[in-house]
Amino acid sequence: MIPLPRRGRNTEPAEGRRTGPEERSRVRAFGLRTRLLAAFLLVAAVSAGTTSALTYREARNALLKTAQDTAVSTFREQVQQTGFGLPVQEEGMEEVLRDLARKGKPRPWVVFAEYGSVRASSGENPVSTVITPGLRRAALANPYGSFERVVKDGVLYLTIAMPTVFRTGPYDTLPSGLVLYAVMRMTDEQINVDALLTAARDGALPGLAVALVPGLIAARSVLRPVRELRRAARSMGSGRLDTRIAVRGNDELADLADTFNESAAQLEDSVHELREAEARARRFASDVSHELRTPLAGMLAVTEVLDEDADHLDSDTARAVRLVSAETGKLAVLVEDLMEISRFDARAAELNADEVDVAETIRKTLQNRHWTEDDRVHAELPTGIRARLDPRRFDVVIANLVGNALRHGGAPVTVRLRTGERPTGTPVLITEVADRGPGIHPDSIPYIFDRFYKADAARTRSAGSGLGLAITQENVRLHGGTIRAGNLPEGGAVFTVEIPLHAEEATA
Amino acid sequence: MRRTRPHRRAAALAVAAAVPLLGGCGIQESDVIEAGGPATVEAFYNRSEEVILFFRTPDGRLNPVIRTVGSSPGFGDEYTEPGPAGTIGPPTTEKAIAELLTGPRPKDRAAGLTTALPPTRPGATIKIDPTSGSTVTTHLPFPLKDLNTTALRQLTCTIAYSKDPGGRLTVKLTGQDGGSHSDTCGLPSGTPG
Repeated sequence: MIPLPRRGRNTEPAEGRRTGPEERSRVRAFGLRTRLLAAFLLVAAVSAGTTSALTYREARNALLKTAQDTAVSTFREQVQQTGFGLPVQEEGMEEVLRDLARKGKPRPWVVFAEYGSVRASSGENPVSTVITPGLRRAALANPYGSFERVVKDGVLYLTIAMPTVFRTGPYDTLPSGLVLYAVMRMTDEQINVDALLTAARDGALPGLAVALVPGLIAARSVLRPVRELRRAARSMGSGRLDTRIAVRGNDELADLADTFNESAAQLEDSVHELREAEARARRFASDVSHELRTPLAGMLAVTEVLDEDADHLDSDTARAVRLVSAETGKLAVLVEDLMEISRFDARAAELNADEVDVAETIRKTLQNRHWTEDDRVHAELPTGIRARLDPRRFDVVIANLVGNALRHGGAPVTVRLRTGERPTGTPVLITEVADRGPGIHPDSIPYIFDRFYKADAARTRSAGSGLGLAITQENVRLHGGTIRAGNLPEGGAVFTVEIPLHAEEATA
Repeated sequence: MRRTRPHRRAAALAVAAAVPLLGGCGIQESDVIEAGGPATVEAFYNRSEEVILFFRTPDGRLNPVIRTVGSSPGFGDEYTEPGPAGTIGPPTTEKAIAELLTGPRPKDRAAGLTTALPPTRPGATIKIDPTSGSTVTTHLPFPLKDLNTTALRQLTCTIAYSKDPGGRLTVKLTGQDGGSHSDTCGLPSGTPG
């Protein structure tokens, strides 16, 4: 028998159980959505950050360069309009410097002059604290204008050193030894650059926010087919083999959906074929049994007559006649069993449940089979246990188990009746049939209820049809119960049947 | 392990992105950056009446001062005669050296300028050999061995700029003791822009 997924069965509990992972996936830490979003944000952050940073740097450098170059050239032009006698004299110097400072463009600056030991300035202190020794050295070593940005006490200054030269001839100049310094606060530049920085940052952050949108869309476009695929796979797993996915687009995910659909279609076809083959096989067995029944009935009638007359035949013929009669009887049992099991397979078996006294039912079964007449069968049947059972089927169960125990196990066979509870709390009727035989080989226990299973491979022919335990199991199942086979610790096999006391509830 | 690798890569990318962002915020200090030439100021130098003398600054450098020849009293007057050709030419090198040897005047001293040359007796003769090529030879009325480097450079530069507006001459000094020194002024000179 092929274990086939059954339509419509067990789907509710399965669905209910699996809502867990679905909800978990929405908050999964490193799920596909998180990773896709992270990747998008990272790319956006890198590009926005790099662009902003480079733009900002270029703009800042351009801004600074303009400001510095303007300041240096303005200062040079202004200095070139002044004149000094050599040696430079301290008196009168301050007025010249103040004049220079007033003309400072675009911003006023403080002008310092250094010549020999002469120190003068347009401000309050004759010597600047901002000008670095490096700038002084550079100004004195080379007759070139130079500047340096200095941060002092958190304030940014531009310091310009302007060495002066004077003409010694129409084509020649000589450094005069007088160096003029201008010190200017770069407040405006700092404000502008800060504004640039703010702009770059404020430009990058909305860029990141905007990148979130395509990130979410991309994640959705990937995740939706994946989610559909998962739903479809689960649906297939629960038996709905006609599940298909809508194929959208032309990408890899669409290919995957296509493949899934193809596989599902092939699986559905295969399963359909298998089902049909199985149904045909069952129908065949059922038909064969039916067809055999009529001739067998005739044969049974004939063999009965022959059996009666066997005593008058010679011994060889009589033995042959009895053999034929016995085998015909076995054949009849086999055919009956086959038909019974066919009904189970076709799900045609019906449970005609009735409220019965179980002890009474079992006792009747044993009496009908004439097993209570000697000591071979011992029954422990407490009275007062009532259950909803199909008396005919329960009779088959008990008869099969006891008959089986007598045939394969060893007397005395004990039939015990009690009630119990399943772990789920359902009250059950427990019937145990134990024998004192050699027990069941442990290797055989898993297969003991299989059809035509022979526990002893050497014993190919037995009194039974080989279907007894299989039919027993089907009958117990029909009651919503279970049957187990096992060995007692003191020796002997034991079969335990558990049937819910209220069969309607279990099968409902 | 499989999971940590992309994370490490992501971290590296983030760092790469953050470095240019963090590396240049605001305005930093800068080094000393050259920006164009010097400022050419008017020093009212009249070559036909004035000489350039070089004196020592407090930090050991040489500063030029412009001195009008002839305005000084005393022995300078006898040198204000017209040149050999009878035309009024620039003051002679002998006058410039004589002025240098008189030392800094109060105005020069006020600016912190000093001389490294020894005081000289007035009337000492200074002899200039006729200029041959780019070398000028000067005979000085005192021994050279007493002079330090600054003093030699004062003499060299004063002589060079009295002979040439660019000071591009080799000056050979010979002293009373027979010692001699040959050098160029070496001050950075340039052409006005």
